[in-house]
Amino acid sequence: MKLEGFPQKLTLKDGSHVEIRPLAAADAPALLQFYRALPEEDRLYLKDDVTKPEWLERFVALVDRDEVVSLIAVMGGKVIGEATLYRALHGWATHVGELRVSVALKLRRSGLGSALAKDLVKLAIGLGVEKMIVQMVENQLSARRVFERMGFRQEAVLRGHVKDIHGIKRDLVIASNDVSHLWEAMEALVSDFSPTFGG
Amino acid sequence: MDKTEIRVGGLGGQGVILCGMIIGKAASIHDGKHATLIQAFGPEARGSACSAQVTVANEAIGYPYVKKPNVLIVMSPDAYTQFAPQVAPGGTLLYENELIHVDETLPKGVKAYGIPATRFAEELGRRLVLNIVMVGFFAGVTGLLSPEAMEKAVKDSVPRGTEDLNLRAYRKGYEYGREILAKAS
Repeated sequence: MKLEGFPQKLTLKDGSHVEIRPLAAADAPALLQFYRALPEEDRLYLKDDVTKPEWLERFVALVDRDEVVSLIAVMGGKVIGEATLYRALHGWATHVGELRVSVALKLRRSGLGSALAKDLVKLAIGLGVEKMIVQMVENQLSARRVFERMGFRQEAVLRGHVKDIHGIKRDLVIASNDVSHLWEAMEALVSDFSPTFGG
Repeated sequence: MDKTEIRVGGLGGQGVILCGMIIGKAASIHDGKHATLIQAFGPEARGSACSAQVTVANEAIGYPYVKKPNVLIVMSPDAYTQFAPQVAPGGTLLYENELIHVDETLPKGVKAYGIPATRFAEELGRRLVLNIVMVGFFAGVTGLLSPEAMEKAVKDSVPRGTEDLNLRAYRKGYEYGREILAKAS
């Protein structure tokens, strides 16, 4: 799937320049390197063991099948951030997309996470996703703030659902952003009946 | 007066009026031409016959009704049946080719170009952008209005937040139109 509007050039708060673009097959080794460099604590929050080549192979296959949309942030030839949109192409939740964003430790609070998240949200809407969800641990306060600024609201809390690096159970917060009203507005526009249309 | 009469026909719910509106907007607001729009719809909106008449000219238009369209855009078999015989000699028919079968009711000399717009819309993620695919197809085949004007009109006419998908739908129709035209010539 060709994603339009990329690559994008971004200047972070500290003045450094980053390129954001869809993941290509050639980026796979750099992506693995990025994830291996993340602190173990951060990797715990991810669904898969992203340090394994087998995971990478599966992930790239999902990207090829358009089940996953992956954006990477690249600086100096290295991947420094990644944002993924997961969606089901079949079944009862094809209208829902799940977002995940990871940023290299040294680039936290630089604006990169927000930029990646915004691009992914825009892409998701453009792909027809009606509802987006993100899963965050209760103490991921920065991440929660980033998504709240983009209209995500807490929808559910699963108590003691995840264990952190110290084995302590934490609550999993599921926040959502329902954008179906955008498509309802489009439906109204193509309904071809309005006594005041154009007036 | 250099005038082009366009009729868009389909079922209520296919975005027929929006299609006409975008063409008119592109012509009059973004391409510096004159345009008029007349809309007609059945009493039950969704599912009933619907049409839009758009006239585009370089000068002020005195009579806005389309009797013999130079360009007919149809998205349903009923619209084809009703309007195809009216197409002006040498005119152009643009049709959804997985819903409509072109037959001898189309006047001789009319050039017919088909596009699987519904399928393209579904592949893009939303069936309801079918009419935007048709708008792009119109732009690509006729070249009547500038691509920039058409894209601006699409962007201005759709709900904020849906521009990306609608522009992709427009470009899909446009590129298909250019390819079809190139093959035909």
